[in-house]
Amino acid sequence: MRIFWILLKKELHAFFVSPVAYVVLALVMVLNGFAFRAALSILESAPSEGSIVSWTFHAMWFWLSYFFIFPLLTMRLFAEEKKLGTLETLFTAPVRAWQVVGAKYLASVIVYCVLWLPSLLNFKFAHWISAGAVEVPSGAVQGAYLILIVMGMFNLAVGCFASSLTSNQIVAAILSFTLSLLHFLVGIFIMVVGRRLSDTVVNVVGYFAATEHIRIFTAGLIDSRPLIYYLSFSLLFLSFTHHVVEFRRWRP
Amino acid sequence: MIDVQNLTKQYAGRIAVNDISFRVEPGEIVGFLGPNGAGKSTTMRILSGYMPATSGSARVAGFDVFQQSLDVRRSVGYMPEMAPLYTEMRVKEYLRFRAELKGLSGYAMRKRVGEVMELTGVNEMRRRLIGNLSKGYRQRVALADALVHQPKLLILDEPTNGLDPVQIRHVRDLLRNLKSKHTVLLSTHILHEVEQTCDRVIMINNGRIRANDTPQHLAAQMRSTTLLHIEVDGKGDLMTDLSALPGVRKVADEEQLVTPWRRFTLRVEPGNDVRDAVLELAMKQNWRIREMHRQLPTLEDVFVEFAMNAGAPSDSPTHVL
Repeated sequence: MRIFWILLKKELHAFFVSPVAYVVLALVMVLNGFAFRAALSILESAPSEGSIVSWTFHAMWFWLSYFFIFPLLTMRLFAEEKKLGTLETLFTAPVRAWQVVGAKYLASVIVYCVLWLPSLLNFKFAHWISAGAVEVPSGAVQGAYLILIVMGMFNLAVGCFASSLTSNQIVAAILSFTLSLLHFLVGIFIMVVGRRLSDTVVNVVGYFAATEHIRIFTAGLIDSRPLIYYLSFSLLFLSFTHHVVEFRRWRP
Repeated sequence: MIDVQNLTKQYAGRIAVNDISFRVEPGEIVGFLGPNGAGKSTTMRILSGYMPATSGSARVAGFDVFQQSLDVRRSVGYMPEMAPLYTEMRVKEYLRFRAELKGLSGYAMRKRVGEVMELTGVNEMRRRLIGNLSKGYRQRVALADALVHQPKLLILDEPTNGLDPVQIRHVRDLLRNLKSKHTVLLSTHILHEVEQTCDRVIMINNGRIRANDTPQHLAAQMRSTTLLHIEVDGKGDLMTDLSALPGVRKVADEEQLVTPWRRFTLRVEPGNDVRDAVLELAMKQNWRIREMHRQLPTLEDVFVEFAMNAGAPSDSPTHVL
């Protein structure tokens, strides 16, 4: 466990001394600003059932930021070490593969959580500036950020896996972007062609539709099924990553 | 300290290391010598627990490199070829991180990092980013990293690669001083280094061990010719007379010196010493000799000869060529 913390500290350090974390943070803040503005204008124009929170996370701007984050945060995790050759130094120190994978993953999750902190302030400010006229339901906020973190954990695990497959960061980024996008498109696919398919197909695919999850959680409903779905798939991809990294040691 | 038995490593059908066996005793400095692609790095990677062997076994400090990988890694200080380092970290920061990974902590860790920085001469660079260091300094940081946990065995893959002559000398002295505390296995293709530093040389080519002996023995065993340089002043056909001596293979007339002195290089068959015969000849013919110098084969000659015959199969792996 001690080794794990040492590695985690090093990974976090690597994030914050490189410009990557700040570039992503700036990007996310800008896009969130747009998403928030879009939500405000919707609420302004007509009375609506949705709250400011649910409209923010339904904005196109939000999804735009959503897809850029994961490749940018995870592409260098393993690919850079492979390219530099430092994987060799790392794995000739007394460390276990799960410690390395876990530390890299957890570091990216922590950075990811930090990315969303400024967006919380948007809601606080809206409430404060409008002297309470803009209602920010706390259930919706909690639900939204819970599903954001859990979806993030899933996509970061996918990104981790993509990075472990290659020594080229660009390839890792594209792979992780493609996988995340494919996952997202499944939900869109249902929205587009849903009426022509049987109910069972729609229901089954609906279980892993990210847009659907966001809709439910930003309404303040906490459904355990998506949580379990995302967490178990995160574990699955992390164990894939572990196998890829550890494969070196077993290859005859 | 190291016990390798019938070790073989294949990469996708290509054999990198072919059935090698050797032992390294505690306190020895052993040089791994061979042309590029001979299998030096592969063997070292297996010994340091980075990758497994296809077949055969290797034990380091009493631990099996595959079964007890973590124990092996704790007792080995490994410096990979090209000294890969995290370029975004500072020297001291990096060494502290590595020391912590290898189980040091607190005051002992900080003290030890200070010691190795002093020892390897990177102290004045401790606040610099590794990415901004020159090749020589990076190499030394990697060496400091290998030393930091005071491992029983040091495995150094081309430790002097990319260093200038002064730094090479520094590393060589450092290795000799380490001898009392550590066993060292280093790979190199700089022969001078092996002759100066190592107790024993393991020559490896095409994945097989071709020689395993002290540097002096290897040079002596070598079947190539010795050279005899002489400077003489005499009348008559000196070339023919010298060539007629038994054991002389070839005589070369070197550049004309200030007359009447002439300089010859005699290639002598192995196992012959023609110095007496040359002197007798000179006395008989009334020549004057002002220099006679025998040049014994160096390890470099062994190496070149052995690298030239790279393709030739060897049936006696412990004998040169």
